[in-house]
Amino acid sequence: MVAVVAATKGQTMKKNDKMSISGALAAATCTLLGTAAVEPVEAQEEPGWDFNTSLLYYGEADDRVQDLSLKTLSRRTFVDDRYLSLGLTVDALTGATPNGALPQSFPQTFTKPSGKNTFTTPPGEFPIDDSFRDTRVAVTANWEQPLGRLYALNVGVSGSAEFDYLHLGVNAKLSRDFNNRNTTVSGGFAYASDELDPVGGVPVGLTQMQNVRDEDEPSGRAGQESKDVVDLVLGVTQVISRNFLLQVNYSYSDSSGYLSDPYKIVTVVDAVTGDAVPIPQPPNGEGPSHLNFYEHRPDSRSKHSLYARGKYYMSGKVLDASYRYMTDDWEIDSHTLDMRLRLPISDRTYLEPHLRFYTQTAADFYRISLTENEPLPEYVSADYRLADFDAITAGLKFGWKTGGGNDMSVRLELYKQSGNVSSGDLIGSQADRDAYPDMDAIIFQYSYLFGK
Amino acid sequence: MTILSSIARSLIALAVLICIAVQPVQAADEVPDLAQYEGKVVIVDFWASWCVPCRRSFPWLNSMHEKYAENGLVIIGVNLDQVRADADSFLTEFPASFRIYFDESKELAREFDVVAMPSSYLLGRDGELRERHYGFKVKKQDEYEAAIIAALDNVE
Amino acid sequence: MRYGLVALGLLVFAGMSGCSSMGVEPWERDILAKSEMQLTTDPIEAATDDHIYFSKEASSGGRGFGGGGCGCN
Repeated sequence: MVAVVAATKGQTMKKNDKMSISGALAAATCTLLGTAAVEPVEAQEEPGWDFNTSLLYYGEADDRVQDLSLKTLSRRTFVDDRYLSLGLTVDALTGATPNGALPQSFPQTFTKPSGKNTFTTPPGEFPIDDSFRDTRVAVTANWEQPLGRLYALNVGVSGSAEFDYLHLGVNAKLSRDFNNRNTTVSGGFAYASDELDPVGGVPVGLTQMQNVRDEDEPSGRAGQESKDVVDLVLGVTQVISRNFLLQVNYSYSDSSGYLSDPYKIVTVVDAVTGDAVPIPQPPNGEGPSHLNFYEHRPDSRSKHSLYARGKYYMSGKVLDASYRYMTDDWEIDSHTLDMRLRLPISDRTYLEPHLRFYTQTAADFYRISLTENEPLPEYVSADYRLADFDAITAGLKFGWKTGGGNDMSVRLELYKQSGNVSSGDLIGSQADRDAYPDMDAIIFQYSYLFGK
Repeated sequence: MTILSSIARSLIALAVLICIAVQPVQAADEVPDLAQYEGKVVIVDFWASWCVPCRRSFPWLNSMHEKYAENGLVIIGVNLDQVRADADSFLTEFPASFRIYFDESKELAREFDVVAMPSSYLLGRDGELRERHYGFKVKKQDEYEAAIIAALDNVE
Repeated sequence: MRYGLVALGLLVFAGMSGCSSMGVEPWERDILAKSEMQLTTDPIEAATDDHIYFSKEASSGGRGFGGGGCGCN
């Protein structure tokens, strides 16, 4: 306990007024030499811009989706911890995605979503939807500032546009610190209003795939559909120790509106053979060769997620691990385990291996295929993204500081999805073929951060 | 004459740097010497090299020292870095015109009940605590300065 | 099973809010102040991954907000 100095000159001191400055001898030396000669430092130009840019290549095997993306995040800092962040992403997409139909031992012909012509899938292959994806542009703008000493507010807007999809959203987050800023409680809200304008219009769910139409023939379809999504997040971040930070978030998401994929279908198969059921071609023109129905999902979905993340520092290395559990009213349950380990190599470079495990159960209306003559269910989808599958991502990132003091990094990751198809769900010849379009993708990203 | 004075200034600057560099560990039971501060307005400012607002406050503290040292303002910067070398390299890059102490044991920080970084305590000429500021806001600089002037003029 | 896990999670959550005695002194946040210890070390990488997995899986998001860091001001 440092001696209170009241004695020195008979001064009375309140508890908080103790001026227990020790090292008197050294202090005397400092005083003696004085400090007048040192030039005081100029105000550091804190307010300024910093930029985060990246180039991404995402490519799936088997002629599936390929994406080249340019992303930028520009941030303007204003005095006293206020920020304006502006994000811009431009994606150039090509390739195709499985349309939900199953591979067969014979060729299959489907009508393209535009309704103008058809495409044929060779035997043994997963039919992939001939995609017209071209460009997608997404923008975000966020403003962040403290409110008083202990609160922080972040508000923002987001928007994206591609040829058949428009998204508009607003978001807001409020956080408050407790316990000398060891605990931070945050609440967030986001609302999105999306509009779909699919090529060829919106097909009626659970109706048969249509034939090729003439230009002036009415499609009998709606032109556009919309969906709304509300997200709520409640989170607690807690400093556990000098080198350990823990965060736990609970999220709730509610989607309503048109939630189906207008381009996805479900194959109808023979109840005994398991083969797709052939249908007669239209008299004048082209159409699908086998029986398929457009998918139909419920018009609402509510999800609950629990997410926990820890960051742990061990003499220069940082372990970042998170776990997320998700459950929804479509009966999908998922578990995600994500781990990164940052390993400094020198004071300017680091290596960061990354491992992610994911597993999900199928939606209760997910079907590999429908059976001929069974009564049509209320909802059905064969979209592989609603199936029971496991996925693993393994990657490595290498980062370095440039001569100019800016940060660059490259990362290469492999993402692999494998379906968990229960053999009890397979009928007849389906056992001879794949029922889930396993996916292999490569992620390559180069990032460059520069600015103040 | 000018060469001599510039050499002298360099030597003083060097001495100050050495002085800061060879600051001994704060002994918990040394009797502080308040005598030298009696009748002066003292700002005790707790900072650390990794604290960005602390870095922002330095130029302001330097300018306060320049403006009011003659009127009796004493600024004492107390560094709370865990790793002393970090503080030393910070001071080499951003020199302070006021004196700096290293509170290695963090006794001083506990004595002053530091709950935020930076924390600044304004003590009047009578040694009483007048104001306590947690954090440093550039927009409040005028407010902070007004408090110093009031303390120097011994105004309530 | 599902509701059990959610309940467990909320319990952890509530427990964490009660961790008012846990933490460090304001001057012990040097490591937490490092850029590599922030929750948003690489916002673009995080947004990229979120978008990829949102497009290819049935789950999305979960992560969030602020906290940690130097705790300054």
